[in-house]
Amino acid sequence: MTVRRALTILMVLGLWEAVRRFDLVRPLLLASPTEIASALVKSWLDYVIALRLTAIEIAIALACAWTLGIAAGTIAGLRPFLSATAGPLLSSLFAIPLISWYPLFMVWFGIGITSKIAYAIVSGFLPIAINTMNGIRTVDDQYLLLGKAIGCSRRQIIFRILLPMAMPSIVSGLRIGTALVVIGVIVAEMLSSLGGIGYLISYYRSIYATEHVYLGILLALGCAFAANWGLGFVERRFTHWRVLQIEER
Amino acid sequence: MKSLVLFTQLAFVALVIGLWAIGSWIGAFDPAILPPPANVAIALEGLLRNGDFLAYSLDTITRVVAAFVIGAPIALAAGFVMGENVGVGRSLSTIFNMVLSVPQSIFLPLFVLLFGLGFTQKLIFGITHVFFVVAINAMAAVRQVPHGQVTLARSFGAGRLRVYRSIYLPAMAPQVMTGLRLGIIFDIIGILLAEMYASRTGLGVLLLRWGESYTVDKLMAASVLISAATIAINETMRIWELRVGRWRKVLENR
Amino acid sequence: MTAGRPLVIETRGLRKVYGIGRAPLVALQDISFAVEEGSFVSLVGPSGCGKSTLLQMLAGLVPSTAGEVLVDGVAVHQPAPEKISVMFQDATLLPWKRVAENVEFPLEVRGMKVAERRKRAAAMLSLVGLADFAQRYPHELSGGMRQRVSIARALAPDPRIMLMDEPFGALDEQTRIKMGHELLRIWEKTGKTIFFITHSLTEALFLADTVLVMSHRPGQIVGTIKVDLPRPRTYEIIGSAEFGAMRNRIWKLISQDDREVIGEGMAGL
Repeated sequence: MTVRRALTILMVLGLWEAVRRFDLVRPLLLASPTEIASALVKSWLDYVIALRLTAIEIAIALACAWTLGIAAGTIAGLRPFLSATAGPLLSSLFAIPLISWYPLFMVWFGIGITSKIAYAIVSGFLPIAINTMNGIRTVDDQYLLLGKAIGCSRRQIIFRILLPMAMPSIVSGLRIGTALVVIGVIVAEMLSSLGGIGYLISYYRSIYATEHVYLGILLALGCAFAANWGLGFVERRFTHWRVLQIEER
Repeated sequence: MKSLVLFTQLAFVALVIGLWAIGSWIGAFDPAILPPPANVAIALEGLLRNGDFLAYSLDTITRVVAAFVIGAPIALAAGFVMGENVGVGRSLSTIFNMVLSVPQSIFLPLFVLLFGLGFTQKLIFGITHVFFVVAINAMAAVRQVPHGQVTLARSFGAGRLRVYRSIYLPAMAPQVMTGLRLGIIFDIIGILLAEMYASRTGLGVLLLRWGESYTVDKLMAASVLISAATIAINETMRIWELRVGRWRKVLENR
Repeated sequence: MTAGRPLVIETRGLRKVYGIGRAPLVALQDISFAVEEGSFVSLVGPSGCGKSTLLQMLAGLVPSTAGEVLVDGVAVHQPAPEKISVMFQDATLLPWKRVAENVEFPLEVRGMKVAERRKRAAAMLSLVGLADFAQRYPHELSGGMRQRVSIARALAPDPRIMLMDEPFGALDEQTRIKMGHELLRIWEKTGKTIFFITHSLTEALFLADTVLVMSHRPGQIVGTIKVDLPRPRTYEIIGSAEFGAMRNRIWKLISQDDREVIGEGMAGL
């Protein structure tokens, strides 16, 4: 199976290379794999520095968005009145194109690393909070009763019963939130920045260095996949039981 | 209870605005960074009377609508086909899901490289934003049609058209509406982003320009306006979604 | 009258009303009974008569509108997990924890040390016959097995009193019968006091020393049946004439409109 996959990938790469080699497409529009590779080799240091910056921004933003989102969602989920009031408000806010507020973030936080992180945190916060809130709210009352009957303190009920039980919802919120954080950082870098992978992509586009644009985008996608992959660990660790439950039906 | 909830929500919004106003009044905020709400309101009123602003807004709206009007029907068609055709659907849907999970906004520089700065580039960018989410939802909508009902209707001699109208349509409508709603939201995000990144006209350009020149009152006014407009669109479509899916609620309440 | 063993549970004039103002719903009215230490008491009644509410009040999970619940002579206002364990119809096992970890859960909450609680959980699992499944997850077990884990979990903190709210309600008949036998075996071995709610007349009679009969709207005790059948009880007893007579009496009590409280040999009083 993996051999077949490897062969398919090789074939695609070969075709891609061929399309460029035989001048079927203008060099402006499409860069061949070899061109992209050589671009990487030529400017690898620039890319390493850029990726490092982007990665730091993403990491900080993720940490904040996750904690704030889960905390807010938990608080709202615990009190039915709060979830009834906050829920619809948060859902409505989610429709707002946050990108339209980015220039304001620029005014408030400058064009450095802070504005990217702040923007990304706000992007990721909402879906995490909303999903956490719903996850906690919909835990079956039986589990709450069980906790009380066993003699759990409020804190124990939240951390040992509610949160683990709500994990599947929380994780799906984390998935969306993480994606939005990564996009947020990179897009913000594209619009106004002094560094980072988004900035590089933008710069190379402005000088029509096609192979660098493709390279940059691939690396940016790499960031997104890496974040997703990391999330996969969290998901497996905390929701393995859910997957098994569904499988057994 | 419902009115209490609504009251609390309004009270909260009022509280935020109130704190903002008081904060500005006592000088807690730098007016160059966060202008008082009154200034923003004045700026908003000014914008609504400003011909240039309205012209730029129209540009944005045109792009959004065009992308939607072109993208949505194609996406619906594609989604229906994928839904009906399990084989085709499965392979395509994995690809579509992959595309959806990949951040489309990241490809913007590539779009500019490929299609230039003009209307076409933004249109295509917008269309890609609309297309995938509408198609996936359309496909899911078809998949969830209760086939038992279809067989039953056919056994009563219902013709193809009849079956489509009385069973497929009501069953699919809510999910399709969800897809359309998300489609237009993504569309707006995409167009604004494209305008901010590389454009000569449109609201995005204005926002970025005002941001770079610290024209905060106009910036806030425009941001608030855009936010209000999108919320309004979202809520309206959500109401339609609910209305069209009312039969679902009935089933749930049993 | 049997020689009075200490009264471990007492209720006096319990009343529960829901909804203030417009249309108050009287869920429970004037519930008074007593349970002797070490006895097996079942409560039978139609669906919706407030049995679960009553059990939750006994467990200290729900406050009463009037009247009191006494456990060991002390009024109950909140759960007393050292004395009382509760079991619900749904096993309510924590799905992300293994079977053994589920059984350990009440002990973990109480702060028992790891080694000690592992030992205790293992012992309880042996008692219910599930020692081999200690490392499995709840979803790998059948409904009956899950309820057995639930029993093990309820037994783990070694409570003197076990309150059970239709624990076998979701099981098929054969499993129910088997579980009933299991429960009696455990009860006889451990000497605990068991308060068992069910809507099955047969089950109530088969298991208990005393059957409390409840009616609904509002929920009240309409009768008490002392079950003098010999122990250990086997399934054949269900076919006996005595059993049938008692079951008919219960049926009459439940289905009669005229709510007369008949007291027949109330246990221990």
